[in-house]
Amino acid sequence: MSGDRVLEADVGIVGAGPGGMAAATKLAAAGLRVVVLDEGQRAGGQIYRQLPKGATSQAAMPEPPSHDHGHDLIKEFEQHAENGLQVIHGATVWDAQPGLLWFEHDGESRLLRCGHMVLAPGAYDRAIPFPGWDLPGVTTAGALQVMTRGFGVVPGKRALVVGSGPLLLPTVTSLLGAGVEVVAALEASSRWRALRALPAVAFHAARRREAMWYLKQLSRARVKLQWGWTVFACEGDGRVQRAIIGKVDGNGRPRKGTERTIECDVVGAGFGLVPSIEIGLRLGVPSQFIASRGGHCLVVDAEQRTSVSTVFAVGEICGIGGAEVASAEGELAAVAILRELRGAEMQPAVAARARLERKAADAMLSAFAPLPGLHELARPDTIVCRCEDVTRLRAGQAAAMHGKTMRAIKVGCRAGMGPCQARICGPSLQAMATGDNECQMDLPVVQVPLKPVRSETILNAPE
Amino acid sequence: MTESADIVVIGGGIIGSSVAYHLAKLLDISTRIVVCDRGPMAGATSASCMGHLMVTPDNAQEYALTKTSVDLWHGLHEDLGGFDYNPTGALYLAETDEDQEMMPVLHKQFTENGDKADILDKQQLRDLEPGLADDIPGALFYPGDGVVLPMLAAGAMLRGAQARNPNVVVRPFCAVKGFERHGDGISAVVTEQGTIHTKTVVNACGVWAPDIGDMLKQQRLPIYPRAGNLAITGHHVSPIRTQLLEISYLRFAHAASEVDPTKTDADAGGHAVNMQPQTNGGCLIGSTRQFRGHNKDLNRELLRRSLQRAQRYAPGVAHAPIVRTWVGLRPYCIDNHPLIGPWEPVPGFWIAAGHEGLGISMAPVTGLLIAQQIAGIAPSVNVTPYLPGRFLS
Amino acid sequence: MSGRIPGMAERELVEFTFEGEKVSAWEGDSIAMALWAVGQTDLRNSSSNGAPRGVLCNMGICYECLVIVDGETVRSCTTMVQPGINVQRGGKR
Repeated sequence: MSGDRVLEADVGIVGAGPGGMAAATKLAAAGLRVVVLDEGQRAGGQIYRQLPKGATSQAAMPEPPSHDHGHDLIKEFEQHAENGLQVIHGATVWDAQPGLLWFEHDGESRLLRCGHMVLAPGAYDRAIPFPGWDLPGVTTAGALQVMTRGFGVVPGKRALVVGSGPLLLPTVTSLLGAGVEVVAALEASSRWRALRALPAVAFHAARRREAMWYLKQLSRARVKLQWGWTVFACEGDGRVQRAIIGKVDGNGRPRKGTERTIECDVVGAGFGLVPSIEIGLRLGVPSQFIASRGGHCLVVDAEQRTSVSTVFAVGEICGIGGAEVASAEGELAAVAILRELRGAEMQPAVAARARLERKAADAMLSAFAPLPGLHELARPDTIVCRCEDVTRLRAGQAAAMHGKTMRAIKVGCRAGMGPCQARICGPSLQAMATGDNECQMDLPVVQVPLKPVRSETILNAPE
Repeated sequence: MTESADIVVIGGGIIGSSVAYHLAKLLDISTRIVVCDRGPMAGATSASCMGHLMVTPDNAQEYALTKTSVDLWHGLHEDLGGFDYNPTGALYLAETDEDQEMMPVLHKQFTENGDKADILDKQQLRDLEPGLADDIPGALFYPGDGVVLPMLAAGAMLRGAQARNPNVVVRPFCAVKGFERHGDGISAVVTEQGTIHTKTVVNACGVWAPDIGDMLKQQRLPIYPRAGNLAITGHHVSPIRTQLLEISYLRFAHAASEVDPTKTDADAGGHAVNMQPQTNGGCLIGSTRQFRGHNKDLNRELLRRSLQRAQRYAPGVAHAPIVRTWVGLRPYCIDNHPLIGPWEPVPGFWIAAGHEGLGISMAPVTGLLIAQQIAGIAPSVNVTPYLPGRFLS
Repeated sequence: MSGRIPGMAERELVEFTFEGEKVSAWEGDSIAMALWAVGQTDLRNSSSNGAPRGVLCNMGICYECLVIVDGETVRSCTTMVQPGINVQRGGKR
């Protein structure tokens, strides 16, 4: 067994997004041996997605003010990466125990032994099924961000952006930056509901600047955000060619008779984010359900410590909050670890910043908590589990016969048993199957591997 | 909630579902049958096992039972459908000299019973399954075996029962807490959702069947949990189209165990290859056995052995993505034969449990035999070896 | 190449084939993005009803974007292009 396959570190960090970068930089600067495991090809996570290495971007995409922070984080992180901080890109963590992270990298099965662990794996797009959502050309909002900012690819000619929450705006501006016509930007929340977010934005200088930047970009491109609208269906032959859009009520329920047809060849749907808590659950970290924070998220104390000794969690997995929350919490976790290991000083400013950012994020996101009525978009013949091609009707039959829990529905129709491990269908499956829009998703059952990996990776896992 | 039923079936897994289906088929349409489970229907062992429709050649008595049952599965597929029934046949792979000597013995056991089986040489084996390693000396191909998805099959049988008899009621999340008695018999089943007045109860609780017996103050049934580790690949990557078993599987699985099932710390567990193609193009990889009580934690050593041996026979497994691993509990009966029949000390109480690794295979015939015995009809297969009374002390 | 934001992302040219047809891409592209850039948004057919399917999440989570590269089924959004690879539609082989 090559020594390379087992790594040792003082601190292991999962994720090279803002949370992971902030923690890694602080710990590496203090001289600790740090190893970062990241699924992506480059640092930045999803929000600060970089182009592939060696790419030039002379005609740079317009960026909001907050991305300066991202550039600073990346610069410092990549500098440390050339000076002792070990960063492994393309690494998929598939099992974990306190102090141990098994991962697949470049076809090899490897193990990271670490004294402390900081989990910062981020989040993924929440999917709400609707008729035609499985057509090529219909993606998540995040997918379009990756496409434009991460690869410089133009998604199409006429884009429809739908969903709910602050992520709609960066999706629109990325598309505009790619030269795509945004035919409509539909926010499912009503204007009045969204006003609840106003104080969190208005009294926070950086967020205010950010909001003004987005409004300016949209106004320049004459894209009007429509409140209380969403997509009802997508249609097309082999690829999306048009969408039926319409109004929803305050609960998100589609209002019949308001339908309009709009021609488009790209649809980006962003109905919020889901925290990637699987590694934490596998480690035995307790969780809580907070709808406005994306649902099930990990419980941490005021210094990002979980109740599992030596395991820290930061950013989206403690609740959706965005990049500033993640980097503040990443730094805070690093400070706490340095106190434990080195007796280093408390840094109240760091703790204060993390608290402030989290509070502001909570206040803003509470205005965009998922609208239950959107679960009425899917028709009986709409596929709700894409891995196993299970329709809403079939899921309903399974719930009626086998029971209303996630497990019962899975057992009755195989929904949630495919390679996405119920990440895509899970958040809405029980509501789809029971017809109870308010139905809260069960906590996912964690099974190994945490993400699909090759059989030989499990077989050759170092112990 | 208080209600009455003619029959209550406790346990909504593959056995309970089959019992309900066959009762609905045999008895009058006005018969009220309640099937209850403490969790999801088909949510316990039936959701954690392989769906092998196996005709067992190593034991003439069991051959009759499993052959009848697997034939019934074919009929259920025609009648009900919707459970990914796939008549793959089975390849019994020979690796060692000892295995090779077994092949003509197995062949004889199949053909003696009027069945068909073919001994394949190296080349014929490669022709049938190009995805197999090229150093396997030979195999026996038995066309009669098949594969189903057990939890979907249980659901299909429950639906089939309700289609034939609208008075079949299905109750998930309805745990049985106890019984009301009338003399030696039963007068009601007490559940967490209320009381069901009935005189006839079928215990189809598998691993938990002894707990139901406890509630009736009966001697404890000798059924013990036997853990099995499984892994399933992603879609479209299965290197095989036929079901695979290694010949040593037969010894491993079907012999009465040498390990004391009550000593849950003493068993390191064992493994023999059983791999099944799935209709979505994935592959289900098993099969391990270990007595460890109700512990469902992953046994990494047994899982590794399982993947290694699968890879030995089908090298394409190495790169196949594994989507999920899990542990299921088989209901192992001390003499390795199921219990199918009445429990005389409690008139009206029937037992259909303890099938170990043959629950899926034997579900239809079990349901049929219980229904026949309850209806007072002569059983289609000799049921004497499976009567629960053999354990009465 | 059409489908690319002007001025962004020029790197080494990489050529591969998709269903036998030559596709030009840039080094560092994922297979999914290289194909999308030339208008190829449907990558496989659903095994249940044959409907065309393509990228959904573009970050390796959803397993919708499966293609076959030199015989092996992979996620095209997390697999980078390499010169000379033969890519086929995902799904049943």
